[in-house]
Amino acid sequence: MIRLICYLMGGKYMKAANFSYYEAKNIQDAIKIKANDEEAVILAGGQSLLPALNMRLSSPSCLIDISKISGLNDIIIDGDYLFIGALATHSDVMRNEIVSQKMPCLIDILKMVAHPAIRNKGTHGGSIAYGDPAAELPALAVATNAEIILSGQNGDRSINANDFYLGLFETAINQDEIVVGIKYPLLKQGQVILFDEVCRRHGDYAMAGLIANVNKTGSKVNDLSLVYFATGDKPDVADKTAKLFLQTGYDYEQLKNSLSSEIDFAGDLNSSSEMKLHLATILIKKIINKLEA
Amino acid sequence: MDDIKVNQNPKLGSIDRPNSYIGRSLPRENAKKHLDGGGQFVDDLTLPRMVHVAFLRSPFAHAEIKSIDTKTAKLSDGVIDIFTAKEIDEVCKPWVGVLGHLGEMRSPEQSPLAKKIARWQGEPVAVVIANSRAQAEDALELIEVDWLEKDAQVDMETALDPNAVIIHPELGNNLFWTRTVNQGDVDKAFKEADAVVETTLDFARHTGVTLESRGIVADWNKAENKMTIYHNGQAPHMMQHIIAKHLDLNEGLVRIISRDVGGSFGIKVHVYPDEMAVTAISKKLGRPVKFIADRLESFTTDIHARCHKISGKLGVDKNGKILAMEIDDLSGIGPFSMYPRTSAIETNQVLNLSGAPYVIPNYKAVGTVVFQNKTPMCQYRAVGHPIAVAITEALIDKAAYKIGMDLDKIRKINFIPDNSYPNKSPSGVPLEDLSHQASMDKLLEIMDIKEIDTKKKDDYEKGILSGYGVISMCEVTNPSPLFYGVGGAHISSQDGASIRLEGSGAIHLSSSITEQGQGTEAIMKQIAADQLGVKLESVRVTLGDTDATPYGGGTWASRGAGIGGEAVLKAARKLKDNILNIAAAIMQTDKESLDIEDNNVVRKNGGEGISLQKLAETVYYRGHEIPKGTNPELLATASFLIEGIPFVFTNSAMGCQVSIDQDTGIIKINKFWAVEDCGTQINPKLVEEQIRGGVIQGIGGALFEECVYDDQGNMQNATMADYLVPMAYEMPDIIVDHVTTNSGRSIIGAKGAGEAGTGGAPAVIMNAINNALKQVGAEVISQPITPEKVLKALGKI
Amino acid sequence: MAANNTLSISFTVNGEKFNNVNVPSRQHLADFLRSQGFTGTHLGCEQGACGACTIEMDGKAVRSCLVLASQANGSDLKTVEGFDDKMMEQVKQSFLKHNAFQCGFCSPGMLMTTKEILLSKKKLTREEIRSEISGNYCRCTGYQSIVDAIEECINEVN
Repeated sequence: MIRLICYLMGGKYMKAANFSYYEAKNIQDAIKIKANDEEAVILAGGQSLLPALNMRLSSPSCLIDISKISGLNDIIIDGDYLFIGALATHSDVMRNEIVSQKMPCLIDILKMVAHPAIRNKGTHGGSIAYGDPAAELPALAVATNAEIILSGQNGDRSINANDFYLGLFETAINQDEIVVGIKYPLLKQGQVILFDEVCRRHGDYAMAGLIANVNKTGSKVNDLSLVYFATGDKPDVADKTAKLFLQTGYDYEQLKNSLSSEIDFAGDLNSSSEMKLHLATILIKKIINKLEA
Repeated sequence: MDDIKVNQNPKLGSIDRPNSYIGRSLPRENAKKHLDGGGQFVDDLTLPRMVHVAFLRSPFAHAEIKSIDTKTAKLSDGVIDIFTAKEIDEVCKPWVGVLGHLGEMRSPEQSPLAKKIARWQGEPVAVVIANSRAQAEDALELIEVDWLEKDAQVDMETALDPNAVIIHPELGNNLFWTRTVNQGDVDKAFKEADAVVETTLDFARHTGVTLESRGIVADWNKAENKMTIYHNGQAPHMMQHIIAKHLDLNEGLVRIISRDVGGSFGIKVHVYPDEMAVTAISKKLGRPVKFIADRLESFTTDIHARCHKISGKLGVDKNGKILAMEIDDLSGIGPFSMYPRTSAIETNQVLNLSGAPYVIPNYKAVGTVVFQNKTPMCQYRAVGHPIAVAITEALIDKAAYKIGMDLDKIRKINFIPDNSYPNKSPSGVPLEDLSHQASMDKLLEIMDIKEIDTKKKDDYEKGILSGYGVISMCEVTNPSPLFYGVGGAHISSQDGASIRLEGSGAIHLSSSITEQGQGTEAIMKQIAADQLGVKLESVRVTLGDTDATPYGGGTWASRGAGIGGEAVLKAARKLKDNILNIAAAIMQTDKESLDIEDNNVVRKNGGEGISLQKLAETVYYRGHEIPKGTNPELLATASFLIEGIPFVFTNSAMGCQVSIDQDTGIIKINKFWAVEDCGTQINPKLVEEQIRGGVIQGIGGALFEECVYDDQGNMQNATMADYLVPMAYEMPDIIVDHVTTNSGRSIIGAKGAGEAGTGGAPAVIMNAINNALKQVGAEVISQPITPEKVLKALGKI
Repeated sequence: MAANNTLSISFTVNGEKFNNVNVPSRQHLADFLRSQGFTGTHLGCEQGACGACTIEMDGKAVRSCLVLASQANGSDLKTVEGFDDKMMEQVKQSFLKHNAFQCGFCSPGMLMTTKEILLSKKKLTREEIRSEISGNYCRCTGYQSIVDAIEECINEVN
């Protein structure tokens, strides 16, 4: 679902502009069309695309529907990775046995994404590819060093999530490429992914959210990485602050200063940059409480 | 559900009768169609040759329209025509939103489409008529407008400054209306007070967000010279008059049909320029025209409400007795006063209702209403009450804290006593049949403040801030002609009911009150069946059709049950009397020995009776069998209006308990109680549900909802994702209880119940939050009380 | 299927077959269904936020304003007009009993969400019910009566 910072100038449209619709037979078919038409967009779950179309914020020439292509929604163990096919819906992932065993945090995270009917259509790959700065999955991908699998005219390639998100709704996808899957490294001994977010209403985009990749022995934290979402243009990695926490434990003022120096918090309608900075700080405390629970 | 709540209204007859329906929480069988997808909302209607419209709206808060070029747009697929003010003005006369009884009120003429200047973001400037809405929007993109953006006045606090942007130069300044109420001598009383407390509160603009947006289908039939309008409005007869007047039509040949309405809450009781334009287009084209506001349009063009900054002062003696209250209220509306009810009413209610539950011998209230280049503003559920109650109750809490008195005790010693009516509010408004003392006692009984207070202290030890509040309030319901009609508005205060027994034995009822989901049809049925003596399912109801119902005011200001219900009661009694006259003649006995039960005329002392069906058959088909001179009449009509007082008030007491997350600033409403006295409750469940729905809407304003504008007058959160309405997860269960003080103004004794929840919730929530924050020396004074404001108050940011 | 601005699609709605119906490629499923006379599905925002348009598509609840009509080619659709099995009739009786609706505009979407809750066979607490319906906007009821009705249905089904 789309969240917009809308300067909607007097209220404009709620019926989409004209576009062609094409149901792709397979991935190669989709890639060929996308490569040759700059204004063509991919339709997977449509939960972010259709609001933009309805409001005429997006006026593509052609929609390439890949949602009916088979074989793109597998959820399997692939070596040392949990592989999630791009067309696996959020509901598919939440119900999946392998996910509940190997990466249960993903289920907790997806419970916070929008609402059931949206999750029935919204796709894992769609969320990763769209890169909404307030979305959870891109931050999870970054925090877990996930590999994003792209398929293009020159074949498949894999790119680490840390290199994928470049700016506001800007990713490293080339014109001829489509996200086909994401590989999350399986959790090692002592590794746990923790997550929390602060939002105004259940299912809303967060005012600030945190994904922590923690390595622990008992309740002692050996190592951690902190990745924030809803704080800026893309997932915000807070390495310096993570290191500081490991040295000094939870000290509000110190951590706040550190976060302030390494993240450029961008305020929005629901929370100013000062508030996001404050929330980012207390989210560390919330994560630690979850660890200790 | 057959939950009997005894109303103790002896005027209505025994509750042990077979058809005793008044006071029962019966399910709304007539409404089941909504669960089967059978609702008939305006957008569900398709008529032959119907066309659709989309409006080009000003993107600027204030701009000159130098030229509009529609040449290219007119060639777009599916476009039939494109009109600007020139074409619309040929058919529709402008209007002015002022009334004569509120003192000097200045608002310029307003036309459906802006002419040379657009004065609010969203003001319609041109309209595309096309075969589909999508095609109309395609053409909108091709219209070229040469705009010259002007400075906008978007801050109400600077609207009267010397360097303000004067929105209407011919008026000289941006003042729309002002009023002062002065009772007694507040200055003297404050000097004598032992404790004086002050505060300034501000309330953000917000709006109704009805799930079904505004909509209209206008159908001008040239052959019949008749205009039929399908409209999801609340007041069909008012619209009938206005459309006839401004389109120069024979009022009797304008028919307004209001079927199912997807929520209204006052939003759909006003006259909107885009809807008037649609009627004009239909008249010009001679074919049906449909307009459905989409959600983006709704946010920027539905009326907004509740933008106030109010400062207040309260003086008490050392025993907590209130000596004086003073308020000074500023409100910012749009560039025009809304038609026909005016944008002054909200402030007028603030002045009238502040302090209303209490004995306050010295009261001064000043209200100032200014124009702004923002969406026009007008009445929205609980008009003005949230502000009046919030300022009153905040000041009382402050006084209680200052002199060290319990929150409930300070209120109890200041209430206008239950046995002292008729009486007057501090502002001088007549009050009768209220029960503040009994209601507060009831609230305390179900709330258990001792336990809450203990928990509060325990919580504090654990680092949790929790708090509670109790408030009392009066609600305006059942208005008389002294509300609008007196000022020149063609808004009826009298409503009627017409009831007949048909040849099949069925009962048909029509009423001038309308339905928007609150249960109008259900309660009218209950009253009619109860008073007539027939099974509930024998009654069918027609509402919302100016050709087929009695003339009246419609539904607004919580008037349906009290005014419309009384008309139904009277009509049903008349019909019963008529029926018994005929039955007595046929059965050769005294009328007094007969009654009607379960659709049969029965002899009170036993013996053979006659079914209503047989009686009706005799009357209609075999009239020769009826004794001469009986003059059988199986149809009865009655009407009702409130006379001599401006409103019938209800009262409520509300309480809530909240906790504050000191890290995130998020407020959790743990418990909410509402004690309502609305007199006779025709269907107690429906009353409860009005309270609950109203409270949640009030919570919206208190914690979530606001129309956010930048300093250029752009509304920044005009989408469903960005404007935060209450959704299920954050909302509490609400415990509702009652006291019953019947209105002496009618037999049925019912008052209104539709708005109290919304009127009282913001006050009690704010007080509870401040009760919690007080423990750390913090306070919030601005609604919506967002997490950011809480964190700022706590000094965290 | 060639790329086009108008397509021909086939599908079923509430068991009724539709063959080769023309639909503009830009039209969303809610508008399309309504144009075919299934006006029980309502539009409240066309953004996916209010839930009024929620229907059942191939056995799952979806926002019909966020699905293109063309995507429904070959699909089995159920709208509120078709919620007439024994379980849903019981749900409607519960809604009626608790007055879990006032104006009725949110009801089609609310009923669809309720159907999914009941089919999951999970015994939910009131808080969990509120979480499940947190994507369905209701302005009239304040939600409590809806939670009451769903709670009752869950107890009856389980």
